[in-house]
Amino acid sequence: MKILVKSLLLLFLLIGFSFAADYDPNGRLILSLGGEVSVMNPILSTDTTSSAIEGVIFTGLVKLDKNLNFVPDLAKSWKVSKNGLVWTFKLRKDVKWHDGKPFTADDVKFTFDTIMNPKINSVRRGDYFIDGKPIKFKVKDKYTIQAILPKPFSPFLVSAGMGILPKHLLAGKELDMAYFNNHPIGTGPFKFVEYKTGDHVLVSRNPEYYGGAPLLKEIIFKIVPDENTALIALKTGEIDSTGIPAKDFHPIKGVNLFKYDALLYTYLGFNLKSPKFSDVRVRQALSYAVNRKQLIGLVFRGYASPAYSPCAPVSWAYSGDVSKYEYDPGKAKKLLKEAGVNTLEFTLLINHGNKEREKGATILQQQFKKIGVKMNIRVLEWSSLLKVINARKDPKDYDAVLIGWSTGVDPDAYSIWHSSQYPGGLNFIGYKNPKVDKLLDAGRREQTKVGRKKIYAQMYKEITKDAPYIFLWYPNVLTGVRNRVGGLSEPGPAGLMVDIEKVYIKSSPLSSPLHEMERGTAKQGGEEDKL
Amino acid sequence: MLRKNKLFIFGLIILILFSLLAVFAQFIAPYDPAGIMENEIQGPSLRHIFGTDDLGRDVLSRIIYGGRVSLSVAVVAVAVALTLGILIGAIAGYFGGLIDELIMRFTDIMLSFPTIFLILAIQSVLTPNIYNVMIVIGATSWMGIARLVRGEFLSLKEREFVEAARAIGCSDLRIIFRHILPNSWPPVIVAGTLGMAGAILTESALSFLGLGVQPPMPSWGNMLMDSQAYLLDAPWMAVIPGLFIVLAVLSLYFVGEGLRQSLNPKER
Amino acid sequence: MTKYIAKRLIQLIPLLIGITLITFFVMHLAPGDPTALFTDPNIKPEELVRIRANWGLDKPIITQYFIWLKNAAKLDFGYSYISGKPVIQEISERLPNTLILMSISFALILLISIPVGVISAVKKGSAFDNIFTVVSFIFMSIPTFWLALVFMLIFSLKLGWVPSFGNLVLPVTVMVISGLAGITRYQRASMIEVLGQEYIKVARAKGMPEWLVIYKHALRNALIPIVTMLGLSLPDLFGGAFIIETIFAWPGMGRLGVSAVFSRNYPMIMGITLLTSILIVLGNLLADVGYAIVDPRIRYAKKE
Repeated sequence: MKILVKSLLLLFLLIGFSFAADYDPNGRLILSLGGEVSVMNPILSTDTTSSAIEGVIFTGLVKLDKNLNFVPDLAKSWKVSKNGLVWTFKLRKDVKWHDGKPFTADDVKFTFDTIMNPKINSVRRGDYFIDGKPIKFKVKDKYTIQAILPKPFSPFLVSAGMGILPKHLLAGKELDMAYFNNHPIGTGPFKFVEYKTGDHVLVSRNPEYYGGAPLLKEIIFKIVPDENTALIALKTGEIDSTGIPAKDFHPIKGVNLFKYDALLYTYLGFNLKSPKFSDVRVRQALSYAVNRKQLIGLVFRGYASPAYSPCAPVSWAYSGDVSKYEYDPGKAKKLLKEAGVNTLEFTLLINHGNKEREKGATILQQQFKKIGVKMNIRVLEWSSLLKVINARKDPKDYDAVLIGWSTGVDPDAYSIWHSSQYPGGLNFIGYKNPKVDKLLDAGRREQTKVGRKKIYAQMYKEITKDAPYIFLWYPNVLTGVRNRVGGLSEPGPAGLMVDIEKVYIKSSPLSSPLHEMERGTAKQGGEEDKL
Repeated sequence: MLRKNKLFIFGLIILILFSLLAVFAQFIAPYDPAGIMENEIQGPSLRHIFGTDDLGRDVLSRIIYGGRVSLSVAVVAVAVALTLGILIGAIAGYFGGLIDELIMRFTDIMLSFPTIFLILAIQSVLTPNIYNVMIVIGATSWMGIARLVRGEFLSLKEREFVEAARAIGCSDLRIIFRHILPNSWPPVIVAGTLGMAGAILTESALSFLGLGVQPPMPSWGNMLMDSQAYLLDAPWMAVIPGLFIVLAVLSLYFVGEGLRQSLNPKER
Repeated sequence: MTKYIAKRLIQLIPLLIGITLITFFVMHLAPGDPTALFTDPNIKPEELVRIRANWGLDKPIITQYFIWLKNAAKLDFGYSYISGKPVIQEISERLPNTLILMSISFALILLISIPVGVISAVKKGSAFDNIFTVVSFIFMSIPTFWLALVFMLIFSLKLGWVPSFGNLVLPVTVMVISGLAGITRYQRASMIEVLGQEYIKVARAKGMPEWLVIYKHALRNALIPIVTMLGLSLPDLFGGAFIIETIFAWPGMGRLGVSAVFSRNYPMIMGITLLTSILIVLGNLLADVGYAIVDPRIRYAKKE
């Protein structure tokens, strides 16, 4: 009998030991933020630092998996009516807000109604209007909500991922000034604890999280001013993860490196309403003059891919069948001559603070010089640049701009390429091609992925023929994560911590010198001694 | 006296050298400062004496052209400061009384601002470029000169030659510019030299922060801004422009100090 | 004495008003206004008009100035464009860090500059003095930010002796080296002047040992200008703080100010400019009063 008890105890011990060896239940993950948080409210914030925090505190009806497919989150299922106009979402019944109150369809309706309220300064408002008509939300019952669209619109699911706000805390309050924005309450895996300006934001485990209690006890987001400092902090173990500049992307002790493609591209956009660029041959000539290999080599040390189309290769809609203007300065000069252009001088606008674009612009300047074109560079503050390209006038006050698009999960790029989106939308170059307009509309109506892919492939072919942009590069995302962090997702455009609740800190003391000292001498074999 | 001062001579030689480099940059610089010559950063070699920067451009050529930029900013900024300072100080010192009080109050106000932050604040309102840098530096560093000139005027205006000039009916303006001013050159020259040293330091700090001379136009300060990301990988990008700044400023200090000693015999 | 202090305090008022005027009007040279920061092209122009009215931006500029002044007197500088928090709250969270940096640096500067300045003065013209002169010129020629970069390269990156951010060692070192030269030369000059005075000659004539002469009489008299020096070096200490805090990521008011400049956070820029200027003015006042208390000659003979 005694032997049985002892062996059972030993068994339990081993099981306990193996878990202890796996993850530290008091694990604290240290992430970095590039700047201060503005407001921790998903419908108001516009910066990436705030959305990093919102990402762990709030959840939406749907979320993305590592392959960028939409999967259930607060909504456990959904379906679309045959005519594509009514989306019905069935919600989970076991969700609680961080203050313990239950989550219901009323919260969802409240959130979307608030976004669409013209008195609220939400920049997301436009996402819920299709051709100027609003999407209507209806509560069918406590756990069912419907979205009624004015037209069939397949990209709608993206907007359905918006973080949901608690009605019981915010109804009737002035949203812009609310105490809530600095002390958020959500439905996500982590609860807000504190925000010390200039220093850090701290969140802690939500044990009631409907996706399962997170393995991490806390996450601390440290405010680290610039990427060089962040890199040093990663090396010393002061932070657990950060982006790594291309020039520093080589093996680092104690750190796992990850490289993956992102849904971004950088381009040079021509003001098509300017007489300088109205001839397509001029635009094509400049495209031929660009040596992407040299650009990517100097700016990214090779950690980027050359871009020839408005769709990132990682997207399911990508098509390689486009007009590529590969480096050929001879052809460039010939085209200019054909267009009757002997000298060309123009000014390129870039935004201050983006080192890669600044370098890229300088290199382009030299490359254009080789074909006899003089390009001046003008650096503007980000907000000033946006003011110029978004001004509601025709023609706009610029020649060309070096800027990027984060393409988003859905390939629908209506606001960028549709002729109606000028001068008031994102089509600030003034592109007008009736074929493309038709294809954009069709892409939104079509509900099957296969059908949409065909439509967009045609569209990319049309667009690149016109060379309205010089597509430059798709940057790689380069990240380093310290060895002590486990539970990461496969590297992909959705990032490394797709399921943050599954991330954990390994409890082996060999993983990080700094944190061994911090935790004292937590030994795994403690219970063994007692026996 | 000046000839014996070794530091003065050293400073003067460096200044002349830098001025020649600045004026004849096109002939002296080995390569085009904007030309991308290599596909990666290279350290100092026979081809590139100071190595290349992160865009494959020759550092030595950039230093030479950058020197032209930094020095011309210093010269123009000091010219602005001198103009303002002399005018303001002369009027305050010559007319005295309420005018003097008001002007000195204004000078005190300007002196109460933390200069570098005031300049940053002003630059945040403008779009920084080489021209407004010159003006802004000048517009925030005239105060010391104004005080100096005022002091000179206060003491000189009671002298006989001024009395004499008044007696024969010279207008105030004439007295200020033709009689008193020419006699107050010495401290002003010294102040100007020291002012140039300060202007080089201020411009380089501004350009380093990105609020001064904008790339791709090279200045010693913005070359240092670019060097930050490559501190470990390419330390020459950071060390060399800094050394040139130190040399230029040091030379100006030696020359200024030498002038001060020789023009003010009772000092030391 | 109190009459003197009162007189100086009253003179402060036009000074402060002038500072507020310049601060306000320089900031309002900015093209556009806060609504320029709403960068969504989908926002309707009518919304912007409404928001501008809410913020009182449609009133004449003079009225805006007086409103701002009235609030500033209550230390209400509005809300930061970036964080939405009250400007005065963010400043008061950071100011202590800057004051710590400045006071430790100033204390160290004094510790080094007094002995060096005194010895240079006493041994005027010697090798020590000459070397000191050249070295102090070199220190004055080094741009603060470059020194910071080089130190970071050597001590953080190459040797790993100190962390590169959040730590005081390097910032203080850089600030001390930058400020040392000026103050040491001032010490030296003031000590030289004192040593030339009549009463020193008298003490020597009386047969006092040299070291006692230096210590008892000269030193004590040469220390008096320290208070003035503090007042005079405040602008430079603050100025240095802006750059040093930015490079070493020290969470003080200086870094807050520089990032406010980069993000065009005008309420913050105005708040910091005003507060720093007021601190400098008060520091100068303190220095003058302290000087006057200690030196009776000044009290009675002082003229503007």
